[in-house]
Amino acid sequence: MATAVPQTDHDLMLAVRDGELNALGELFERHHGQLYGYLARSTGDRLAAEDIAQTVFQRMLKYRHTYRGDGSFTAWMYHLARRCAADYFRKSQAGPAHMDPADLQDYADDRPHAGEYATVRDDHALLHRALIQLDREDREVLLLSRFQKLSFAEISSILECSIGAAKVRAHRAVRTLRDLYFQLQKEPPA
Amino acid sequence: MNCTQAQDRFSELLDQRHAAPASGDVRTHLASCPNCRKEFAALKRTLSALDALPVLPPSPRLRANFYAMLEEEINSAACARGAERRRQRITTWRWILSPIAACGLLALGFLAGQRHMPGPVTNPLPTANDTQQELAELRQKVDSMSQLVGYSLQQQNSAGQRLQSIFATNTRQAPDQQVIAQLINALALDPSVNVRLAALETLYAYADQDTVRAGVLASLVREPNPLVQVSMIDFLAAARDPGAAQAFESIARDEQLDRAVRDAASRALVQL
Repeated sequence: MATAVPQTDHDLMLAVRDGELNALGELFERHHGQLYGYLARSTGDRLAAEDIAQTVFQRMLKYRHTYRGDGSFTAWMYHLARRCAADYFRKSQAGPAHMDPADLQDYADDRPHAGEYATVRDDHALLHRALIQLDREDREVLLLSRFQKLSFAEISSILECSIGAAKVRAHRAVRTLRDLYFQLQKEPPA
Repeated sequence: MNCTQAQDRFSELLDQRHAAPASGDVRTHLASCPNCRKEFAALKRTLSALDALPVLPPSPRLRANFYAMLEEEINSAACARGAERRRQRITTWRWILSPIAACGLLALGFLAGQRHMPGPVTNPLPTANDTQQELAELRQKVDSMSQLVGYSLQQQNSAGQRLQSIFATNTRQAPDQQVIAQLINALALDPSVNVRLAALETLYAYADQDTVRAGVLASLVREPNPLVQVSMIDFLAAARDPGAAQAFESIARDEQLDRAVRDAASRALVQL
């Protein structure tokens, strides 16, 4: 008799914790895109983001016994992702990550068409530069709240702070990003 | 609401997921404050641009790597489960087999001990003749003991009374062997020299009996008094007991004995 497939992320992760490792495949399909986007914007390095995303799912398996039944799977996943990203930043201080040219063909060209979307492309590039110039903690809270659509309760759990502190940090991050973004817009193009 | 209070609420107003409870007050302030309105518009434009950033899709490499990792982990977990099951089986069998092996070793040791240990000493059943002989020996011992006890009881009498008892035997016409045995006992054991001499004197009448001569000869060896020793030597010489020659030779050569005793022994040897 076929068993009922768990539907929620939480149920799937409980199944993984109890030894049904195949359930992690469903969680990967549900979350790897968002997780990769968060990591790519957080690190500014797409190759590194893939490696870190892979490490996050590896740690989900390795530390599956520590998953608690009362927690949110998404918060737990981003908690792991944040720690993995911190490890990446610690290691990358020795030098920038290099991309293998052979891997470039794996990436779709997501840039706007040069002729038709020049303005849009410039705005995205400026905003991307502004994001990278943000303090890492400010960037994290912005990404979690705006891109990942997490609640401040979840963000406070990931950042290990109070909900009020998470809100204040998010507001400060938006202001700083605005300042950087507008400042970059005023700069003459190189 | 002043500008600071309004700007503190901008983040809530800009978060479209939540309906800010006090957004009406903030909007009223925005309508009346151009600076805050400008600030709010700038923030809104920034966040709109942020939301408009394209989603970055990962390369196929991420999915391929993930499923390779997952398969490897599943295989590893299966191996670990198999090893755990084997370990549990081994543990179970160990619990079962250990007591059995211990019992087997115990039984083996017991059998080896039975085989190599010397058997119990079996005494042969006594035969009827042996029993008769043992009974005779026991009876003899009891008789000797009873004689000794009886003579010891006699010692409780005075020496004079014992002498009268010995003299009384002279009146008998034909004293039995029991009386002769008592005389020999008196010769050998009585502490009184006079009693011993009287007993020896009485035994002269029975000197022809081998038992009497043997008793006198045995008493001679343990006699401490020279007077009694000389009397005994004379007794045996008079009785012409050839069995006493060896004893006489020994006495004659013994320098520690009284000279009169040695001379008596020498004379007796001549008589024999």
